[in-house]
Amino acid sequence: MMTQLLHRRTPWAVWISVWGLILGGSLAEAEDRPISFVNDVMPAMTKAGCNIGACHAKAGGGRNGFQLSLLGFEPLDDYEQLTKSDRGRRVSPASPDKSLILLKGSGQLPHGGGLRLKADGEGYAIIREWVRQGALYDKPGTPTLATFTIQPQRGTVPRKTQQQLTAVATYSDGTTREVTKQALFESNDSSMAEVSDGGMVSIQDLSGKVSVMVRYQGQVAVFSASVPLGAPVEQLPPSNNFVDDLVFGNLKELGIPPSPVCDDATFLRRVTLDITGRLPTEEESAKFLANVAANKRDLVIDDLLKSPDYADFFANKWTALLKNRRDDASDTISNFAFHAWVRDSLLANKPYDQLVRELLAATGTVIGNPPVAWYKRVKEPKQQLEDVAQLFLGVRMQCAQCHHHPFERWSQDDYYSFAAFFSQVGRKPSATRGEDLIFHQRGVAQMANMKTGVPMKPAALGDVIPAIPPDVDPRLKLADWMSSPQNPFFAKSAVNRYWKHFFQRGLIEPEDDIRDTNPPTNPELLAALEKHFIQSQFDLKELIRVITRSNAYQLSASPNSHNLVDRQNYSRYYARRLQAEVLLDAIDRLSGTQTDFANLPPGTRAVSLPDNSYNRSSQFLRVFGRPEAESVCECERVQTSSLAQSLYLVNSAELRSKLADGKGRAERLAKEDRPAEEKIRELYRVAYSREPRSDELQHAIAFLTEPRLNAEGKPLDTAQAARENYQDLIWALTNTKEFLFNH
Amino acid sequence: MTHSSHTGKPCCQGPWDWGTGSRRTFMQMGLAGFGSLSLPGILRMRAEAGPTSREKTAVILVWKPGGCSHIDTYDPKPHAAAEYRGPFGVIDTKVPGLQFTELLPRQASIADKFVVVRSMHQKAGGHPAGSMQLLSGDPDTRDKPKPKLPDWMTVTNYMRSLEGPRQCPLPAYVGINPPLEYNGPAYLGDAYNPFTVSGDPNQPNFSVPNIGLSNLGEVHRYSRRSSLRQTLDTLERTFDQQRELAALDEFETQAMTLLTNPQAKEAFDLSQEDAHTRDRYGRNAWGQQLLLARRLIEAGVDVVTTSLNGPLCGRVSNWDDHAVNHHVFDALRFRADAYDQAVSALIEDVFARGLDKRVLVVVTGEFGRTPKIEHSPSTGAGNASAPAGTVQPGRDHWPRAFSNLWAGGGMTPGRVIGATDPRGEDVISAHAGPGDFLATIYHHLGIDHTTPIRDFTGRPTPIVDQGRPIPELLV
Repeated sequence: MMTQLLHRRTPWAVWISVWGLILGGSLAEAEDRPISFVNDVMPAMTKAGCNIGACHAKAGGGRNGFQLSLLGFEPLDDYEQLTKSDRGRRVSPASPDKSLILLKGSGQLPHGGGLRLKADGEGYAIIREWVRQGALYDKPGTPTLATFTIQPQRGTVPRKTQQQLTAVATYSDGTTREVTKQALFESNDSSMAEVSDGGMVSIQDLSGKVSVMVRYQGQVAVFSASVPLGAPVEQLPPSNNFVDDLVFGNLKELGIPPSPVCDDATFLRRVTLDITGRLPTEEESAKFLANVAANKRDLVIDDLLKSPDYADFFANKWTALLKNRRDDASDTISNFAFHAWVRDSLLANKPYDQLVRELLAATGTVIGNPPVAWYKRVKEPKQQLEDVAQLFLGVRMQCAQCHHHPFERWSQDDYYSFAAFFSQVGRKPSATRGEDLIFHQRGVAQMANMKTGVPMKPAALGDVIPAIPPDVDPRLKLADWMSSPQNPFFAKSAVNRYWKHFFQRGLIEPEDDIRDTNPPTNPELLAALEKHFIQSQFDLKELIRVITRSNAYQLSASPNSHNLVDRQNYSRYYARRLQAEVLLDAIDRLSGTQTDFANLPPGTRAVSLPDNSYNRSSQFLRVFGRPEAESVCECERVQTSSLAQSLYLVNSAELRSKLADGKGRAERLAKEDRPAEEKIRELYRVAYSREPRSDELQHAIAFLTEPRLNAEGKPLDTAQAARENYQDLIWALTNTKEFLFNH
Repeated sequence: MTHSSHTGKPCCQGPWDWGTGSRRTFMQMGLAGFGSLSLPGILRMRAEAGPTSREKTAVILVWKPGGCSHIDTYDPKPHAAAEYRGPFGVIDTKVPGLQFTELLPRQASIADKFVVVRSMHQKAGGHPAGSMQLLSGDPDTRDKPKPKLPDWMTVTNYMRSLEGPRQCPLPAYVGINPPLEYNGPAYLGDAYNPFTVSGDPNQPNFSVPNIGLSNLGEVHRYSRRSSLRQTLDTLERTFDQQRELAALDEFETQAMTLLTNPQAKEAFDLSQEDAHTRDRYGRNAWGQQLLLARRLIEAGVDVVTTSLNGPLCGRVSNWDDHAVNHHVFDALRFRADAYDQAVSALIEDVFARGLDKRVLVVVTGEFGRTPKIEHSPSTGAGNASAPAGTVQPGRDHWPRAFSNLWAGGGMTPGRVIGATDPRGEDVISAHAGPGDFLATIYHHLGIDHTTPIRDFTGRPTPIVDQGRPIPELLV
């Protein structure tokens, strides 16, 4: 078979045999061998970086009118660009070295992109030879790239060592060729591993999982390396469940000793903040610390999951991602209804697949069926598919609207056939002003590929969906596909998102960018969580339970001498600043005040706000990064610190008035006739859910009793001094890291 | 504030000892936070970048919200029919052959100190989309409530924050009554928003919050409680590999610097300027806004934006001179004096103080106004508008052609670039679109406008997708 094929396509076979000669520079001897545009010229141009977004990729604008397809996914278009447009100046078969592509690429003529093709390099030689042969497109029957692999695909590589990768292309005629020099290599974490142009991976000093993406002619392959630290792991916390088995197993394999399990007070504050977005109350702390039951941590998790505060906090998370955004006062009704629907669904622990199905396939009006509101925010089928893919499947399809996703297998056909599920969403005005009635518009679902114009029938990320009759709402078929136990994305995306909520870092990071080229740091754990979630019938509370009950979640944030640099294996708890809403509520609690939100009942907490509109009136929520519900990406929430935040904390009128509030905690403490130590203990219990240490007590008492002078140098009025002292003590506690962070 | 020289260099001293007795380490980080790049990533980039010794260029954007009529200002059409040219006569400028309307005598007399570009154009007819086109380069022609792309000011703030620790107690980006409605940091995050100053700097009681506490007792109290915070801040720091905790401390220090550093206070204090200078800019909000902009730039701020809006604009407080809003010609006459005085004073001052290489001044609105005059009933009475129902002339939105002004930035002054057709309807030479506008500003700031920045989806997008520095301006 092989022989026959080779025999029939003699020129190709001969060409392959002389490949080495061309690379060796003996072009003269290769004069008669045809150079393939697709298999040789395109990889050379891609390797030279011609078709990246910032240069000549059409998707990035295509500098100076030279427009190539991004990363070379469209060879025919690129051929036209190269040979026909701009009056054909880019290639000159009569005088190959005068081709603009070579003159500019090699820097002989001024080129904004600098030197890309060394005149004595192989890229130059290949293109030159192709031009000399007449700059032809491949003849029909030229073998095409079938598969692309790298060797090895995975391995354990010690720190500070190197690993050479070999890239191999297999063509449609069964022949293979090593293309290491033509392939492109990219590390997913350059602090862990660097990779050379020639595929040499240099592992750095950090341990963990790292991967290198290798691209060639539109295909991708991945090398995954496990980099052990190799420290002795003698003591592991007891395993509470499969999460512990897999986290600690991974740590043992990598040789990263974990930190010990945290103390009770730290655990209670951490888990209460993570499940309900609020500080534990003094009563909860006292009760928990006094409890001697062995399973008291499990019990408190159950209590928190039963509380409405859980639903408030997670509704806050989901409504932002679902773009419950107020652009106009008339949005109020639908926003409140939608928020209430999400919150009530979470409180009732509606199975996740059902929740998503109700949202996806929503019909009717927002009054009768609140999830319809999502179709008000997200109006276009393209936006609908992009949001659904990113939010519920962890797949980013945006790129594929206009070009093949560069690191992915998704093509424009995949994009438009996914969008086709939403092509029959009908809408007409309802009795409520500004609200549409959403219905299934009878007809065959399809959407035209923007580039080819070919109408695409619904298909779900490569999976064929049987023909959908005109009377059936295609969105129901999409929901069926998503919630099938075999779906490779749906459960994985949810467990990864929730894992990140509790561990600050997704097993796949970013949490909504699941692709072959972005492998998880602990694949077994991700698979086990996925399986558990599916078997529990998409029970979100059970997912939280299994995560938070694990000792892995309950590890101390304090590092030991080995795990300090670990940021991806969960060998300790990774501390995180409280998010805007949670922090505002916590400051209210500590200062004994209540932020008022317009037209909401007094006592409404910031985590239970229905939409983004309150960001406008609350400077706090804005500067601390509460999202505007613009994006399905959790990254819209800004968790980084800024000068504006510090200015707020140091000097804002809002915080000053909270501290000085006549009914606030500072005022009360200043007036109360009881020992200062008791008052300090109260503040510590509220702020940190723990008792102060003796040195802390001493510092605080010294601060409260220090003689104070006014501007004229006279002693300050006692009552005034006490008031200011308690305000300032509360201010100081508010600004400590122990308060600002969940740790 | 005493400037050591008039060389145009930012005049920044070191940190200010604000009372704890110990001189602290300031400005380990940029002022701006760390958006889409991880903190270690930024620290690494900075380490690679090394100390930057080159002089930092700066930009003042003077924004005319609503859109200024080009025909009635910088691009008069005296030979067009009456329903186009309007009532204003033309005057010669200091540059032979260049004429403005009679509304701009002061600028005409110093036209050798700036460049007028008459060939600006963009594609969006609404205020939101038009502003977004010009300030962020978003090609979308539809109006949307919030920008999708970050404006050039926040991009500059972000890019400058990557370059190295700020050596100046002032923020990199300050907005003085800045354009706010249709621009912003988008996916870069609010950390890159301007430090915003609002209010009328011409008022005697004008003061900037969070700058220079004057009450010494308060300064002492703040310092005392900060010391307490440090004493009680005992959370173990060993885990802070990402320097998140350290960043908080440093921002707190910077906040305290702004609050207590006399240099910061002086930069915002217009009373430090002599009466003659204040008079020269005009004793009104616009004049003093531009004077404050010049002070801040001189004190080391990288980007200052300021909007010429409010009561000086007329009844609707902006340049949106539809007949329903304003009598367009009354309105232009109403605001011409303050506008002409403030802009000409700023330009003269920039040259007089040797800032003309380092500092670029850009004066523009989001679009021009319809060359053909329309007549409609006014919706209300007030400055520059007749009583409701009175039919008065107006001009509508015109993105197809408009003019803007560029001064300083090392550009060869005294020129006009581009032209429009005899009615001022379309650009006929040296076409300059929003991408070109932005690329020119980035060019001056030393920012490669092709640098990709990642958006929320992780997609790398060049800062300016389509555009190149306006070649005629760079000469």
